[in-house]
Amino acid sequence: MTTGKERLGRRSSIPPKFVLIANLLRAFASKVNLPKNAINQGILVLRSNPNNALQVVRQMSEHRTMHIKPSRWSWNRFKDFMHFYIMLGAIPAALVITYINLFIGPARLAEIPEGYVPEAHEYFPHPITRWLTKHVHKSYQQEYELMCHHIYEIEYEQKLRQAENRIKRKMAEKQDTQAYYYQPVSSRYERSIRDNAQADLEISGSV
Amino acid sequence: MEDPPSLNDKSNSYVEFIKAVYRTVDRPVTWLREKVVVPNRPDNVYYHQKFRRVPTIDECYTDDRVCHFEAQQQFNRDKKVDGEIVQLVRQRYKECLIAEQPDHTRKCAKLQADFLKVSENFCMKYADLGPLNNVKDAYMKQKHRMLWERRHGKVGTGMKNQDAL
Repeated sequence: MTTGKERLGRRSSIPPKFVLIANLLRAFASKVNLPKNAINQGILVLRSNPNNALQVVRQMSEHRTMHIKPSRWSWNRFKDFMHFYIMLGAIPAALVITYINLFIGPARLAEIPEGYVPEAHEYFPHPITRWLTKHVHKSYQQEYELMCHHIYEIEYEQKLRQAENRIKRKMAEKQDTQAYYYQPVSSRYERSIRDNAQADLEISGSV
Repeated sequence: MEDPPSLNDKSNSYVEFIKAVYRTVDRPVTWLREKVVVPNRPDNVYYHQKFRRVPTIDECYTDDRVCHFEAQQQFNRDKKVDGEIVQLVRQRYKECLIAEQPDHTRKCAKLQADFLKVSENFCMKYADLGPLNNVKDAYMKQKHRMLWERRHGKVGTGMKNQDAL
């Protein structure tokens, strides 16, 4: 791999002042304006010139090299994730939480006044918990009563089923009912099929 | 025995110096908090929730599942409260032990008796029931204990022979 230094010709006839400046500018240019790899590969070369301190010459050649090095994909992805989660996650969350803790602050404990029923969010001290309880979560009482109602409904259905099973077992034991067991029939589905078939007939002209 | 010496009794120039150094950091921060931060906060208040007593498991019919659910929830709440009571008594006993270290057998005897009594009562009601918090299991435990006590006398006095009733 050729470097810029080797490609610089006529080194001995260049005034030393220009050589010094050229070296300094080369060090700068590789960081600032010119592509890194191009400098390393010697495609772009800084050559000293009496009129200008620096002259960029593109030395086009067929001998282009590929810089073989390990992949930086994982490292770059890691940096992306770190930036994302810290800039958009940790820092805004820390700022918001600090603001809330400093300028709103936790509630103080007090006795429940006579005849007053506090709302669910007034049972918690921290402002964030209070907000969540007020706007996001279901309160303890709400969930409790929902569960009670659910159990009430389920229990009713269970009792119906248990009664049905007892009756069936008794009928099977005693075999004393004159009729066969009653099988409930619903013609809901037959009616629906008939109506659909009629609608199809009207629309399409045939079944 | 007298109380151990504290910094509030007597002081010397070294102690005063240390206190002054502490104050250089503490005074501005305390002033800022008391005069600037706290008055500008909204004065929110929170309460401790009081729950109504509902019928316990022994007052519920056997087929009343809603009553069972409410008794179970009350049992859970009572267990938490009793657990906190035991924690408080234990903490007091521990603090006494640490503070009175060489004389703890003499000075903390009452707190020790209290703690043992409270934890014994807690274990009588809630312990050895398995991982699930079932109120019916606790009720049955009470029933079995009463039967055992009827047959053999108080718990801790040993079993009588098998055919005692």
